[in-house]
Amino acid sequence: MAIPILVVDDSAMSRKLVIKALPPEWDVEVHQAGNGQEALNTYKSSKAEVMLLDLTMPVMDGFEVLEALKRDGSKPFVIVISADVQPKAQERVKELGAIAFLKKPIKTDEIKQVLKEYGLLS
Amino acid sequence: MKMQSLSPDQTDTLQEIVNIAMGQAGDSLARVLDSFVKLSVPRIKLIEVANAGPGIIKLVNNDVLITAVRQSFYDDLSGEAITLFSAEGCRDLSDLMGYQTDLDPHTEREVLFDVSNILVGACLNGIAEQLNANLSFSAPSLIAENTTAGALLAPDSLPWDYALQVEVNFSLEQRNFISHLIIMMAEDAIESLQRSLDVFLETS
Repeated sequence: MAIPILVVDDSAMSRKLVIKALPPEWDVEVHQAGNGQEALNTYKSSKAEVMLLDLTMPVMDGFEVLEALKRDGSKPFVIVISADVQPKAQERVKELGAIAFLKKPIKTDEIKQVLKEYGLLS
Repeated sequence: MKMQSLSPDQTDTLQEIVNIAMGQAGDSLARVLDSFVKLSVPRIKLIEVANAGPGIIKLVNNDVLITAVRQSFYDDLSGEAITLFSAEGCRDLSDLMGYQTDLDPHTEREVLFDVSNILVGACLNGIAEQLNANLSFSAPSLIAENTTAGALLAPDSLPWDYALQVEVNFSLEQRNFISHLIIMMAEDAIESLQRSLDVFLETS
C-alpha cells in the first residue's frame, strides 16, 4: 500500500527536485502544497503520514506549520528540507517535533537514511 | 536592446538557487552575530534600470534613512550587489558585534563593509557554485550614507538598460536590524546566466 506523503515548498521547482530525490523503491502517493496554510489543509484531506517541509515560505512558514501541528496534537513524521541552514533553525524545528533536518539541495541517500531510521522504509 | 526575459522554468530554477544561496548567507551572518536570522522568500524580476530607484523605494520606506554599500562582481556572471542598511540596523550591528554604541563613522563603515562582504560573498558564491560559474568581487564601497531611498540610485548610475534584480531580506528577531540585498545582473550576463540555468535544469 502506498503511503500518503506531503511535499511542501513554495517553489514548484523545489518540490520537483524533492520528489525526484525520493528513493525509487519507496511506495508513496505524493501530495503537494505551496505554502504552510495549504499544507495544513492538504495534510487533513490527504492524511499524509510523512511531510517533507520547507521553512521559508510566504503566507505561513515551516516553523508555523510545525507549531500548528503540535497544537493540534497531529503527529506526522516531518522531515524539514531547507535552505535555511542556521544551527538555530535546526534546533528549533527539532524542538517543534521534526524528526530530521536536511539541507537543500537534497540527496536521495540522506532521505533514505532518515526513513530507515524511523522504520518508514525497509 | 530588447531583453529576452527568463522562461518560467528558468525563473523557478533561479529562485531555488537563490534560495539556497540566501540560506548560506543567512547562516554566515547568524554565526557572526550569534543571532537567529529571519529570511524572506527571494524576489526575482527583470527590470529596466531606469526604474530601479522607484523599486527600491517600494522596498524600504522613503522616510527611512539608509546607508548603502555596493560591491561589483565579475567573471562568468557580472553585475552589482547593493546592501541596504537602516540607521537603526547599523546600531544593532555594532552592538551585536561588540562595539560601543556610538561608533565613529570610520568604524561604522568597517562594520557595514564586513557585513556586506559576508552577505554578498556567501550569497553570490552560493549562486555561482550551483551554476559552476567563477566569480570575483570588488571591495565594498559606500554609495550612500543616511540618505532616503529615492536619492539612492540615480537613473544613470548603472551603465545598462535592463538588469535582472534579485532581492533578499535578512532580519533579526527582537532587533530592528533589517538588511536588503539587491543583486543587479548586467544584461550581457543574463544570457550566460540563462545558459547556466538550462544546464542546471537538464542535469538536476
